[in-house]
Amino acid sequence: MLHPDDHLSDQDLVLAADGELTPRRDAEVRAHLSACWQCRARMRRMEGAIADFVQLHSATLDPQLPPAAGPRALLKARLSENARQSDAPRRLVLAQVAFALTLAGVAIALVLHFVPRSATASVPRPQLTPGAVRPVLKADVCAVSGNQVLVVPVALQQRVFEEYGIRNPRSDAYEVDYLITPELGGASDIRNLWPQPYSSTVWNARVKDALEQRLHQMVCDGQLDLATAQHDIATNWIAAYKKYFNSNRPRQN
Amino acid sequence: MPEPDSVARWELAAGGKSKRALAPTANEQEVIQLFDELRSRLMRYLLAFGLPAQDGEEVIQEVFLALFQHLQRGRSRQNLRGWIFRVAHNLGLKRRLARARETSGVLASRDALAIQSDPAENPEQRLLSNQRYQRLQSVLRALPEQDQWCLTLRAEGLRYRDIAEVLDMSLASVSASLGRSLARFSRVDVNHGC
Repeated sequence: MLHPDDHLSDQDLVLAADGELTPRRDAEVRAHLSACWQCRARMRRMEGAIADFVQLHSATLDPQLPPAAGPRALLKARLSENARQSDAPRRLVLAQVAFALTLAGVAIALVLHFVPRSATASVPRPQLTPGAVRPVLKADVCAVSGNQVLVVPVALQQRVFEEYGIRNPRSDAYEVDYLITPELGGASDIRNLWPQPYSSTVWNARVKDALEQRLHQMVCDGQLDLATAQHDIATNWIAAYKKYFNSNRPRQN
Repeated sequence: MPEPDSVARWELAAGGKSKRALAPTANEQEVIQLFDELRSRLMRYLLAFGLPAQDGEEVIQEVFLALFQHLQRGRSRQNLRGWIFRVAHNLGLKRRLARARETSGVLASRDALAIQSDPAENPEQRLLSNQRYQRLQSVLRALPEQDQWCLTLRAEGLRYRDIAEVLDMSLASVSASLGRSLARFSRVDVNHGC
């Protein structure tokens, strides 16, 4: 609270004139001004000083102001140029991203094309490879070793790949395998052949080879009849592996 | 409004019309809008610095190009007007220093600028007005430079908080500076027995 005998400072007068006082202080200053002629006269002089300065400021500087249209046009042109330049790296980045995405797409396509599919590709498609057998007896089957390698003719392999839509397969990626192995009476028939991946899945060609040997052994040992062995391996060789190895995962050799 | 020729000359200075035929971006439009709003105020402030008009023009171009980059980088949009004056102040100081080196410290000062007389005044009134302006200019010249900057920024419509930010001062220093300066101006006529 201002005492009537305490006059306002120059700073208070300027702050009041500029509306920069807090509401409470402003009320105090206004109350004092209404009571004090001396401060009100100083306030008028202060406002007059503001008017004087503004007039001096304009009178000396306004005539010196150059026209704005030229600099405005220059600024617009420069901004446009700057925007174009700042667009360029962004366009480059976008092009790089597009190129990277294209490369990634090509790589994925190549992988999908050449590398065997996962678990679904570990078993043949029943429509294409239901399994086919020769008319053989247990004695015929057991007369040959379970480790015998029967090579599928190249022309037949080619037909199998075509049937499965695989073009230009890598030789180390697939084995064109018999679903029912010839050691168990499987036929050299396209309905008994499928491209089995070697390495891309847990359930690969080597694991199936182990199952075939086990089944051959079991049939010849009299633990399993030949028809059951043929049925089980043709229906779902992975399930057969789990059943006859009593293991949910391939065993390490 | 200047003649089209003068606009063409400035465009020529920019290397001809822009090759980019795209519509201006939002940032470009905002910068031009702020230029339209603040250019005269900035120019008066820079002239009051003692900078020649041509230097002031170049500083203003730099300020708005910097503003464009500022916006393009997604930086703060808070109090852009205060930001513009602060950058103009700093660039103006640099330019003035460089100019002073070139001209061995001889710079046009504000008081050297001519005062345009009011054509409606008679010769006696004109003489009195001129004498009063000379006194006001003497008071202004006698103020510390920072006080002159405060007064000029306030005259250009900046609030105390903005002035404090532009000149890197406290709010209390701004109000003390303005109070001190205006008190001197208010005593001009008293000291001369008017």
